[in-house]
Amino acid sequence: MSIPETLKTEWKCRIQQSDHPRELVVDVLLAIQGQIGYVDDQALREAADWLQVDPLEIEEIATFYTFIYREPVGRYVIHLCDSVICWLGGYDALRNHLCRKLGIALGGTTADGLFTLLPVCCIGYCDRSPAMLINGKVYGPLTEETLDRILSELRVAASDKEL
Amino acid sequence: MPKLTIDNREIEVPAGPQVIAAAEQLGIMIPRFCYHPALGAVGACRVCAVKFEEGPVKGIEMSCMVDARDGMRVSTTDPEAVDFRRQVIEWLMLNHPHDCPVCDEGGHCLLQDMTVSGGHGIRRYEGSKRTHMDQDLGPLVQHEMNRCIQCYRCVRFYREYAGYHDLGVMGIGSRVYFGRMESGTLQSPFSGNLIDICPTGVFTDKPSRFIGRRWDFERRPSICIHCSLGCHVTTSVHLREVVRQEARVNPTINGHFICDRGRYGFDYAGHPDRPRMARLHGRNGAPHEALAAARESLAGVSDRHGAGALAVMGGTRGSLETLLALKHLCRKGGWADPVFWLDGRQTRVMKAVAELYRPETAADPMDLATADMILAIGVDPLNEAPMLAPAMRLAARNGGRIFMAHPGPLSLPFAARHLMGSPGAFDRLLSAGVNLLKGPKGEEGLLETTAATAWPDPGAAVEMLRNLQQSKRPVILVGSDLAGVGTVVLAATLARVAAPRQAKVLNVLPGANAMAAALMDESGQAFTDVLTRMETGDVKALVLAECDPLWDFPDRRRLEAAMRSLETLVVLDCVDTAAARLAHILIPTQTVFESGGVYVNAAGRTQRAGTLFTGGLPIRRTGNGGHPPRLFGRDIPGADIPPAWQALWRMAEPDSRLEPEAVLESICLGQPDLLTQQDSGRFPADRIKPAGESREAEADESAEWETGPDAFRLLLADEIFGVEILSSRSPCLQRMEPEPRLWMSATDARELGFNDGGWVQIQSNGATMAVRLTVSGRMTPGFLSLPRLRGSGWQIFDRRSPVLAKRNISRREKGNE
Amino acid sequence: MVPQVLFQNRKPDRITTLAEYQAGGGYSALSQVLTRQDPKGLQTLIDEALLLGRGGAAFPMGRKLATVADDAPHPRYLVCNADEMEPGTFKDRVLIHADPHQLIEGMLLAAYAIGADKGLIFIRPEYEGAARILEREIGLAREAGFLGANILGSGVAFDMVVHRSGGRYICGEATAQLNALEGKRPNPRKPPPYPTEKGLWGMPTVTQNVETLCCLPHIVNNGADWFKSLALTSGAAGTKIYQISGKVNRPGCYELPMGIKLSRIIEEYAGGMPAGSTFKACLPGGASTRFMTKDHYDIEMDIDTLRNAGHRLGTAAIMVFDDKTCLVAATVNLITFFARESCGWCTPCREGLPYILDILQRIENGQGQERHIGMLESMARHLWKAYCAFAPGAASPLESLLTYFGDEVRAHITEKKCPFGGREAT
Ligand SMILES: Cc1cc2nc3c(=O)[nH]c(=O)nc-3n(C[C@H](O)[C@H](O)[C@H](O)COP(=O)(O)O)c2cc1C
Ligand code: SF4
Ligand code: FES
Repeated sequence: MSIPETLKTEWKCRIQQSDHPRELVVDVLLAIQGQIGYVDDQALREAADWLQVDPLEIEEIATFYTFIYREPVGRYVIHLCDSVICWLGGYDALRNHLCRKLGIALGGTTADGLFTLLPVCCIGYCDRSPAMLINGKVYGPLTEETLDRILSELRVAASDKEL
Repeated sequence: MPKLTIDNREIEVPAGPQVIAAAEQLGIMIPRFCYHPALGAVGACRVCAVKFEEGPVKGIEMSCMVDARDGMRVSTTDPEAVDFRRQVIEWLMLNHPHDCPVCDEGGHCLLQDMTVSGGHGIRRYEGSKRTHMDQDLGPLVQHEMNRCIQCYRCVRFYREYAGYHDLGVMGIGSRVYFGRMESGTLQSPFSGNLIDICPTGVFTDKPSRFIGRRWDFERRPSICIHCSLGCHVTTSVHLREVVRQEARVNPTINGHFICDRGRYGFDYAGHPDRPRMARLHGRNGAPHEALAAARESLAGVSDRHGAGALAVMGGTRGSLETLLALKHLCRKGGWADPVFWLDGRQTRVMKAVAELYRPETAADPMDLATADMILAIGVDPLNEAPMLAPAMRLAARNGGRIFMAHPGPLSLPFAARHLMGSPGAFDRLLSAGVNLLKGPKGEEGLLETTAATAWPDPGAAVEMLRNLQQSKRPVILVGSDLAGVGTVVLAATLARVAAPRQAKVLNVLPGANAMAAALMDESGQAFTDVLTRMETGDVKALVLAECDPLWDFPDRRRLEAAMRSLETLVVLDCVDTAAARLAHILIPTQTVFESGGVYVNAAGRTQRAGTLFTGGLPIRRTGNGGHPPRLFGRDIPGADIPPAWQALWRMAEPDSRLEPEAVLESICLGQPDLLTQQDSGRFPADRIKPAGESREAEADESAEWETGPDAFRLLLADEIFGVEILSSRSPCLQRMEPEPRLWMSATDARELGFNDGGWVQIQSNGATMAVRLTVSGRMTPGFLSLPRLRGSGWQIFDRRSPVLAKRNISRREKGNE
Repeated sequence: MVPQVLFQNRKPDRITTLAEYQAGGGYSALSQVLTRQDPKGLQTLIDEALLLGRGGAAFPMGRKLATVADDAPHPRYLVCNADEMEPGTFKDRVLIHADPHQLIEGMLLAAYAIGADKGLIFIRPEYEGAARILEREIGLAREAGFLGANILGSGVAFDMVVHRSGGRYICGEATAQLNALEGKRPNPRKPPPYPTEKGLWGMPTVTQNVETLCCLPHIVNNGADWFKSLALTSGAAGTKIYQISGKVNRPGCYELPMGIKLSRIIEEYAGGMPAGSTFKACLPGGASTRFMTKDHYDIEMDIDTLRNAGHRLGTAAIMVFDDKTCLVAATVNLITFFARESCGWCTPCREGLPYILDILQRIENGQGQERHIGMLESMARHLWKAYCAFAPGAASPLESLLTYFGDEVRAHITEKKCPFGGREAT
């Protein structure tokens, strides 16, 4: 997928105005990802071009962070918290349930391209554990029933958008 | 001066170094992986832990992260420290593939040493290992990521020290990966240093893979002769073949590193085409036969046409012994002295360089690293003397300002202000510096008025002059290709005027021993003078000692015709040059690895390259591939090749029975201590002949560079790979050669309607050459630049820096058929 | 109800608006210092209030500010650490959602104390909601004249931006955060030079946690003595936002006086343990603190008391484990977190943690051997010699597991299985 011109002009402008363009690396990557879902090689090179650095210097940053995706992901990225409080609250069962429901393993994406399931470390919602994040939105405390409901709601939302 | 105790031994060190470095001075090598004297300490590997028993720091700490301070009591053998270090090694070995038997690093691997000496002998880890995919990094460096211990030395060298960006670290945690974005040739011409600094076998020497263990090699110190800096190398010889070179530490010249030209340029020594037999009028013979034949032939020419019909040229890659023997030969025969330089301009420039050489103001390459201001005039460091580039980068990283006056293009791995402009303006720029420093102190506006006419871009001149004025350790760097005599004189004058600021000057010279040649050149003649006399028939015999004008003379057709008309062409060389192939008599000579020799580098340092082995055909080749490769006999096959100086001596003195030492003494022109001069000492400028008086600038040469609006000045430029003759024989470096490009400024390209990347055709002297165009903002309008790349067909010009009419460049559809 | 200071404006379902914040006395501390106090005086006040950093390291804020030299060059930076990736910790999120202007004013005060020119709020990507709130409210504060080139007509200039992280635990470490802010790989930096001398972009930089900064307006308004009087234990100061989670009935964020007893937090505020569960252990301040046992059940939860008992208050994120929970399995989970998040810079952290994880997993799976215990003990000790405080943090739960629950670990080995029936928690 290619990056929209508007995004390009917007960021080139912000980069130009910055005293330290490099500080915008993560912002640029997140913005690109917001548009095209993940940072593919072409987008990575594009970002390097905007920031006037070697693509590798972007890759070094991109491969460091949890929330920068260098591989294609589904429309909904489920970050299921697997840290200690959520684990106490039943993470293992929830994970198994999700994997079964979606027919994928951790790290996988459903065949319809709708869901990607990733484990994530404590997301700072231990008061609502077990918790997860889908496209930035928090859900919790989770049970197998709430999971089912959330999945079907998202499926409906996705097909609505398609219509 | 802090005084501390390490393992019960006291030491006083100047303030600053870390405990790990202080210990080294006592001969105590504290284990280390990430620490490297040239890259500094980062405290990542944690293997240098020691116990601080008393003093300002207490307990187990990293000896690379703690500066030596007064009253410290340090133990490297403390059980707690030893235990921790053993743990670190165990950790580092968790994922290591344990493939030492097939790893080229085995035998000189820091990780192996530390694992054994650290006491980690038994594997306890039961888990699985993480593994990585390797990358193809090009012809020089082999990648095997699984061996990595994450010391970060490679990226720190590649990025911070050398200034290139295509090698880095990706990922996180135990999955960090050191490599490129994707497979591809490493872009840095210093990439080979990765092999030296990687403490294990992640980066190994690709051309010498699987040839042998380090302990199988004869490893000896040597000197690199691929440019005028004379970097220090360690050369490995295996079964009569040079197989590998590494950087050897030298604090004044190359620090801890060398460039890839120097590292891989040795293949000529074992090249299948290297002349191993003499050639006499088309047939092979023994060297001594050829010597006799040459003597006879030359005597015949002298008898028939007089001594004036003989001419001799010496190469600047020859040793001092060779140059002296050559001179001895000429004097003995009553011939004209040898010439060393291709044209009159170079001859005059080199004469000025020699006369103005002053040990006190001569800058060593590493002096650049500590300079707070560098003014480089007509130098392309990366391509002409590569190791200058990292030294200059160190200066820039330490806040030094660098100004590069050059018509372009320059590609520099450091921050510098490129003053684009004609070499015709070099002298004005330098004069401005001289006038400013000589002028009354603090005079209002002096700087601005001086700058106004100094350079096409006065703003840049102001900036340069201001920095010069404020600098405390300036270095002036002068090239020998674009600089004229005036430039050389003015640079020396500037260094003298700025002497209170400890100013220094370094002239980058054409060839490893160009300084020696310049110091002893008394002919005052250039090769072009000889050529003219060859064409008029006055010169009938030519002796070429370790040089090949056909390689770098701009008008190859003219030269070849003249050489073909000679009655006698005698060539002494260790490579099969074009001249060697034309020679009536070819005398094979030893390489520097076999003969050794004395070289005087650009900074005037006398350095001796040692004899590494006795020569002879590589064993790989003697048996025609059979195993064992056996020839029966008491002599080493092919070892009857003499060093060039001995060959020349025998040509001059056929009846002499002198031992080699005595020969050396007698060719030293009455100054026998010349060759025993202490290694790496400054070459005393008064050895060969009295130093010239300090000179004032001569006639203004700037007009020489004017071309008018309808023509270009074409610079025939150096290139790190593919221009220097010896290293151009290395197959691995041949793969590093860039595609030849003609560089043109954007302004000119617009005017002529040329596009970047398009093909153009150059016409000159009735010959043509096709080349692709690079349109660049780094090129001064009115100038073109074309690398003198091997095999690119560039030798169609009447002179260096020729004038090229605009109408002689035209667009064409594609390249050479 | 105990006095609510940082949470005084907290609403169940929405943020406190600028108007509401001002109506409750908001930004009066700012105008007060701008007109009546010099930066040094403000520093002294903070010092006297005994305000210790709330981000985990408990470093006295006043002392940190004092290390910015009077003649230090500009621009100087103030970084607000809202990374909050310590497992179990969520107070900064709650604080921002409850009362964003409290943080903005706190930053303004800290900036004034050190003459900072620019503020940066470094925030984890999971808190995108909080980031948006902050951006919006910063804009409103700017419109109201609290930020910008001439704050409230005083001639003082200061502005701030929100910087989003890509998400990694190490980015919370103050020096790694500087690299992250500069767009470099977030490996930690080793002083000297200290960030207050050469920090962000080589300029003087002070980093403070959200909660620490939120205390400032109240200290300015009410004085150092008042702030100290908030604490229950002598030598401690202020309130503390305790976060409690795990096996309790009402997990959440509670602002309580510093030094309140652990038992009271659990029983009075968190609603006690679920029926049928009894207290076995807790981590008092996030994943990088040591397990506390029944013996600590009545401990006063302040920085010094815990330190004297060999523990750390950390972020005061109390994670409660009951007697049905296998602590080996819990530690496997914790070490998995640390091994995954290690930045890869130094050996102990990068290699030691996966190694420890491998051994712990073996023990949990019933394949443990007696010699493993010694290996774990010595590695936990060696982790302390890592490059930054990450690995020592990771060592804390492990070492305390071995110290306090050695029998439980050994039971796994002798029974060749997990006595609690496997890794899955209930
Ligand atoms: C691995 C690691 C992670 C940290 N994460 C955070 C964090 O998320 N938030 C925070 O405020 N401090 C964190 N810290 C502590 C910071 O380094 C620093 O001490 C703190 O931000 C200073 O602010 P304070 O003095 O106001 O607490 C972390 C430290 C370490 C070693
Ligand atoms: S590749 Fe070599 S130099 Fe680079 S980090 Fe690994 S062990 Fe060190
Ligand atoms: S050499 Fe000191 S930590 Fe690596």
